[in-house]
Formats: sequence, C-alpha cells, structure tokens
Amino acid sequence: MNDTTRQFRDFFVSLKLTVVLLALSLILVFAATLDQVNLGIWAVQEKYFRSLFVLWHVGDIPIPVFPGGYLIGGLLLINLIAAHIYRFKFTWKKMGIQLAHAGLILLLIGELLTGLWQEDYQMRLVEGETKNYSESYRRDEFVLIDTTDPKFDEVVAIPVELLAKGGEIQHPKLPFRVVVKRYYPNAVLQLRAQNPTAPESLADKGVGPRLVTVPVQMTYKENERNWSTAFVELVGTEGSIGTWLVTAQLPTSQTFSYAGRTWRLGIRPERTYKPFSLQLLKVTHDVYLGTDIPKNFSSRVRLTTPDGREDREVLIYMNNPLRYAGLTFYQYQMDSEHATSVLQVVRNPSWLIPYISSGLITLGLLYQFVFHLAGFITRRRAA
Amino acid sequence: MRFRLLVLPLVALVLLPACRDAKITSYRVPHEMPEPMPPVLSGGAGPATNASADMATMANTAVPTAAGDGLGWTAPAHWKTKPQSAMRKGSYAIAGDDGAEADMAVTAFPGDVGGDLANVNRWRGQIELPPIGEAELGRTSQHLDFNGLHCTFVDFANPDSANPQRILGAIVPFEGATWFFKMMGPDALVAREKTAFLQFLQTVRPRASQP
Repeated sequence: MNDTTRQFRDFFVSLKLTVVLLALSLILVFAATLDQVNLGIWAVQEKYFRSLFVLWHVGDIPIPVFPGGYLIGGLLLINLIAAHIYRFKFTWKKMGIQLAHAGLILLLIGELLTGLWQEDYQMRLVEGETKNYSESYRRDEFVLIDTTDPKFDEVVAIPVELLAKGGEIQHPKLPFRVVVKRYYPNAVLQLRAQNPTAPESLADKGVGPRLVTVPVQMTYKENERNWSTAFVELVGTEGSIGTWLVTAQLPTSQTFSYAGRTWRLGIRPERTYKPFSLQLLKVTHDVYLGTDIPKNFSSRVRLTTPDGREDREVLIYMNNPLRYAGLTFYQYQMDSEHATSVLQVVRNPSWLIPYISSGLITLGLLYQFVFHLAGFITRRRAA
Repeated sequence: MRFRLLVLPLVALVLLPACRDAKITSYRVPHEMPEPMPPVLSGGAGPATNASADMATMANTAVPTAAGDGLGWTAPAHWKTKPQSAMRKGSYAIAGDDGAEADMAVTAFPGDVGGDLANVNRWRGQIELPPIGEAELGRTSQHLDFNGLHCTFVDFANPDSANPQRILGAIVPFEGATWFFKMMGPDALVAREKTAFLQFLQTVRPRASQP
C-alpha cells in the first residue's frame, strides 16, 4: 500500500472525521429547523437533507455553501464501515459494540433508501366514490388518452420532467410526435378578455387561445402547489395537428380526433393505479361538545379486488391506518361539509429497516451491559 | 482488498439516485369521465361577469395581480361582502327586489392592462353593447379626482335588450398598476345603486394614507 492510499484510508477510518461529521450534522439540523419557518417541511427536507450540498442561489447560479444530508450521511456511513473493517476485531467481549454499530449502519442505509424510494401520494374521495388510483402531491404528468373504446382508456403518461427537457417525445402507443414548444414549472392563467394586449397564445387548439399564461416563481410552501404548464404541438405523418395549452390548473378534458381515433390530453397529478379499489362509505368528523376542536376524524372505506378475494370494510382513523399491498393509508384531511376525505398513501419498501436497526442497537447495548455486569459480578465474587 | 470494499458504498451512493429516473408509462384503465372545463372556458352558461370568480375557483392560487396593499375603501353597509378570491381584491353582492342581485368586483392588475378604451369595450361587450372609439369614450366617460387619485368613470346600459343590464365602472391607475371597480347587474338595480357607487368611490384611497 503506497502513501497516498494509506492517507486516503486513514482519513476514512479516522475518529476525528466522525466527530467533525457529527458536528456538521448538528449544525445542518439546527439551520434546517430554523429555515422550516420559511420553506415548510417538504422543501427543507429536499434542500438540507436529501441533497449532497445545501445550495444558495446567487441570481441563477447555485453555490454550495454547506454539505447536505446525503454527503454527511454518506461519509458517516463510509466512516463507520471503514472503521468496522479496519479497527474492530471480532471478540465476544466487543460483540455488543459491533452489533450496535451494525444497527447504526443499517439506520443510515434505511434513511438513504427512504429518501430515494419512499413515495407519498394521496387519495381524495367523496362519499360513495370509488377509486383505484392515488395521486402525487407534487409531481405532475402529461397524459394523452385514447378514449375511442367506450369501455377502456389507453393512457400514455409522460412525467413533466420530460417536458421540461424540451425537444420531441415519441412513444410506440402514440401515432404522432409530441413537440414541446414551451414549459413552465409554475404558471397561472388569466382570461385573455382581462388582458387583451397580452402576446398571442402559442396554442391554436383547445382552450389555450382564450387564456394568457403568466409564468410565476416556483413555490415550496406546504400549502401551495406549482402548476405545471406547457404548450405542446402534436405532429402526425401529414404535419402539425395543432398546439395545445396543457396545465395542471385545468381538467384533462380537451379533446381532438386524429386518424379516426378520439384523444383527450392534459396535465394532472401523477397517478399510480392499484390492483384494488377503495370506496368511501362514510366520513365522520366529531368535535368536542360545544367547541370546534376536533375529537375524531375517521373514514369508513370498502376495500375490494377485481378477483373478489378481498371485500371488506375498514375504518381508517388517526394512528389506525390501513396497511395493504405494501401501502399504508393514513387519515390525512377531511372536509365533512362536502363529505370528502383525503387519505395519505405511503409506499416505503424500507419501512422495516428503522425497526430492525433499533432492535440491533438495543440488543448490542444490552449485550454489552450484561457482559460487563457479569464480568463485574464474577470479579467481585472472586475477590 | 480491504480498500476496495470502501469503494462500494461510494458507488452505491452515486448510483442510487438513478432509481428515480422519469419514465413514460402506458396502461389501460376502465373508461373515465374527466371533470368538465369551467363554464367560462367551455363556452357554456355563465355570464361574463363571473369569469374572474370562475378562474379563481378553478385554480386556487395567487394570480399576478398588483402587489401590496394598494388601495383601501369603505363599502356601504347594505353591500354584502362575498368571500375573497385569488383574483378579486374586494367582492360584494347587492340585493335588489325579487331576488335580483348585482355583483361588485374590485380587481387590480400590473401595468395599464391594455388601456382605458380596451377595458371599457370589454365591459361593453359583457352587456352586449358594440365597441366605441376614443372620441366616444371621451364623451361618455367622466373624470373624477379624489384622495389624490384620478379615475375614469363610465356608466353603460342596454335597456333595449331582453335582459337589460347596466355596468358602472371606474378605472384607477395607482403605483404602476390599474385598479378596476365594477358593478354589474340588472339595469334598474344598478341604476338605483349609482349614488352609493359614486359615494363608495370617494372612500377609495391609498392604504398608507388611511386614518
């Protein structure tokens, strides 16, 4: 092993690195907690913890000012593993410490996987309504839906991230190309009648010509959303079919016909379809007598699968979610006046990891304590 | 050999984010009926006067109206305050006889929003009156000055229509934005409210100078 390699190794196994990283993570958590007032929890998680660097934007130029959660957590992970490989020797005496460290490593990996894989969706249901899909809070998709068949819709869903890249999009299920003429991550609409001097719309089909699109700053606040908006031209073999304004602010009900088939298009929250359906039977919103203070929110739903294997009623309320098919349905929001309930739908394949790692850490520390206690008692008896 | 083991977590760290690449998906679902377009866009029912409210309901979000507190006012007691919407700075309902109702809206937009003539003609269009030119605008509008503000005031009606309507409108430029005060509704009701409307205008003033 040459000097450079040794220095590299020594850096990663160093206990000083551990202390520095822990100190940095303390500062990161403190700064993020303060910034939560401005950005809200979601944006803080993305900016401080689910990033390699915390960035400040000077004009349009992002400048890294502090290591982010992924960098600190990643280095801690490498530091722990390196220390395991180089410093620790397996002995029964130190098995507890090994176990506790293994638990810690697992915890860090679990958080990384949660950050990468966890998906938060919501399912909004009105009493009596049945749905077999949930919708993303923050991500939108551009959909082209062939509605020719009266029984089925053929859906092609294009994440708006691909529209943001611009250019052309082709898909085997589409008999035309999608040419992105303009994309705004957040924009609001005005009626053209209210702003008659606005530049002419890029759209020549659908409702677009009657609207003015005004791009606005992206928002990261919890109670606001960004309205993805785009102008897309569809080009068939004989040339342009037309240009449409599509936006998450409008329903996906603009239609057109091409080559004997009828299509619908628009932008909507990203959907994930499930192999089962939920029907909202009843929403209950109890308050403490004589006050507006909520006592209980609950949704009675009916869970069914097309093959008939499942057909049961479930009561979902706070701290009593429905867990089914790798998904957890929490009671999230309620509007009893309109008999509407919103369920938070979470998929987190790594949800068990924190439990396992906590178990390992507990077991390790317990073992270490008992081992030392036993040694102490033995020595005392011998004396 | 041991050193190589260190590289694994590093590589994993770099590669894992790739798991979230955006991909086009296609699938078949049972036929769904989408929500209809708001009436103001579908060309269906709904008078033009409700356009702002429709749009605000359609997208519950802020629109680029003039920023800041801007102007303040005191509405007559018999005007019923309606819920605020994203596009309206003020919104009132004025009840008449036999369930008739007039709508009073205060909106503000950056810039001159096309100028007085374009906006006056837009209002005329809402009650099915033909557009007018600059010369006629000069004859049919009044210029009022109050509380340091300058206002163009118009009063249009279509008494010969099957559904006679009247619009009282005031356009007030203020700090690079244009404020619109518009009352629209049944001819007789709005005509009756003209005095109240003009008195209301006298209460409009910059918020900073409000007592």
